[in-house]
Amino acid sequence: MKLIQFASITKKIALAAFGLFLLLFLPVHLGINLCLLRDDGGEWYRNASHFMGTNYIVKVFEIVLLASVLLHICLAIYLTIENWLARPVRYKVRTKTKTPFMSRYMIWTGGIIACFLVLHFINFYFVKLDLVQGKYSASIEQVDKLFQQKAIKLQQGELNEKEQAALMAQYQAISQISPEKMDKSQKNMVNLTKEEVIQYCGEDFKHVEPDFYTMSKELFANKTYSLIYLVVFVVLGFHLYHAINSLAQTLGLSHRKYSPIIDWISVFYAVLVPLGFAIIPLWFMFVK
Amino acid sequence: MDFTLKIWRQESQKAKGRFETYKITDISPDCSFLEMLDILNESLVNKLSHPVCFDHDCREGICGMCGLYINGHPHGPDSAITTCQLHMRKFKDGETITIEPWRAKPFPIIRDLVVDRTALDKIIQEGGYVSVTTGGVPDGNSILIPKHKADKAMDSASCIGCGACVAACKNASAMLFVSAKVSQLALLPQGKPEAATRVQNMVAKMDQLGFGNCTNTYACEAECPKEIKRSNIARMNREFILAKVASEEDLQQ
Repeated sequence: MKLIQFASITKKIALAAFGLFLLLFLPVHLGINLCLLRDDGGEWYRNASHFMGTNYIVKVFEIVLLASVLLHICLAIYLTIENWLARPVRYKVRTKTKTPFMSRYMIWTGGIIACFLVLHFINFYFVKLDLVQGKYSASIEQVDKLFQQKAIKLQQGELNEKEQAALMAQYQAISQISPEKMDKSQKNMVNLTKEEVIQYCGEDFKHVEPDFYTMSKELFANKTYSLIYLVVFVVLGFHLYHAINSLAQTLGLSHRKYSPIIDWISVFYAVLVPLGFAIIPLWFMFVK
Repeated sequence: MDFTLKIWRQESQKAKGRFETYKITDISPDCSFLEMLDILNESLVNKLSHPVCFDHDCREGICGMCGLYINGHPHGPDSAITTCQLHMRKFKDGETITIEPWRAKPFPIIRDLVVDRTALDKIIQEGGYVSVTTGGVPDGNSILIPKHKADKAMDSASCIGCGACVAACKNASAMLFVSAKVSQLALLPQGKPEAATRVQNMVAKMDQLGFGNCTNTYACEAECPKEIKRSNIARMNREFILAKVASEEDLQQ
């Protein structure tokens, strides 16, 4: 294995660098999540999701991010196995040396977060990749526009019989839509499956984006999921507690002037970011 | 004072080890830990059984030979001392004391509590020195060294190479030892010409010998009898990055 030929410090620096990228991503994710709290029927949140789902720069970063997650996990596992092998016979008396508590359990807190990521991906990310069935929405305005265009085409006789039949079927389907599929403002159809979207809005909506707003709201309406998310945010806090300061040490940044500042930033980051994430399930549990 | 001792006994590197329990009575609180073991050994010899082997030399805390893992602490429960400087007054009367050898893959057990720490010497051989042409005594102050740097280099140089950092580390990593040896020379002008090759060679040797990777847990710093600081590790990381990025010298084969 070529990996063995890298020096231990090189591997650690790589681990730290991937971690740093993940650290930078978390506040972005948090910022988008906090849009959920705005009482605008999900307008901001949907716009943010749309941006994240379609912007090309974001798409490049998405690949870098996924690679960072995978490499961070793989390297951490590899280094930990090396560490375990460095002491084949364990001590009988467990160490009583006082060390920062969380630094000892990074691989375990990291493991819990990795397991959570799988669940989180099934809930959201795989829906985007169309691997898991999600919830979709469509705005009436958009559908109307489409109908008008089609109606003009129909008048001009540009539609063949098959297309006409499809348009009629679509028109019929949408006129019989059940009221629970409309949101409060009556402006959007929500809670649709992808098939329903195509049924109501036609083939032009084949590439419709999933409605993450409805999905998030529904997810956090489920108490079990909310609790899982909350517990993981606590674990995430533990993991982050030994993130920034450890990263600085690995990159060789240690100085009597700025090291205390880095330690403070570490603590603030480890408390504030998970707290920000935790506000959302808590909001849906207790406020909504 | 009376103690129950649970001591690791192992005939040779290949032999299977086991804990043996010994009762020892009438120990003075002012007795040092190694003296207590001497008393035990004397009684064992009188009973015509093998004494417990343990490493020791100067018994002044400066040679780095003694090294026992006592009740979950390298060099015992006191701070900033070696095992020979530990006194029995630090223990409670009637306490059970578990004594284990340093445990790390690069430190094979020779016998009982004695481990082979040649691995640390091998790391030193890779660059823990400066190549100088010997000659007349140089003039004082012909090479200027700022006080704060001289102090730091001296602090790093106080490492006695006992291996407590490796023993304390949950990953059996030798980063604190290697970083102290890299730092003491990297901080001084005499060490600069070889700095880039030194750090790369010493780290490569450390990896090759099977020491673990640092996870910045700092158990080493907490247990170091000479209070070598974690900032040495950061300095070594910095030196390593600089050597890899900026130096044109490569690893010696």
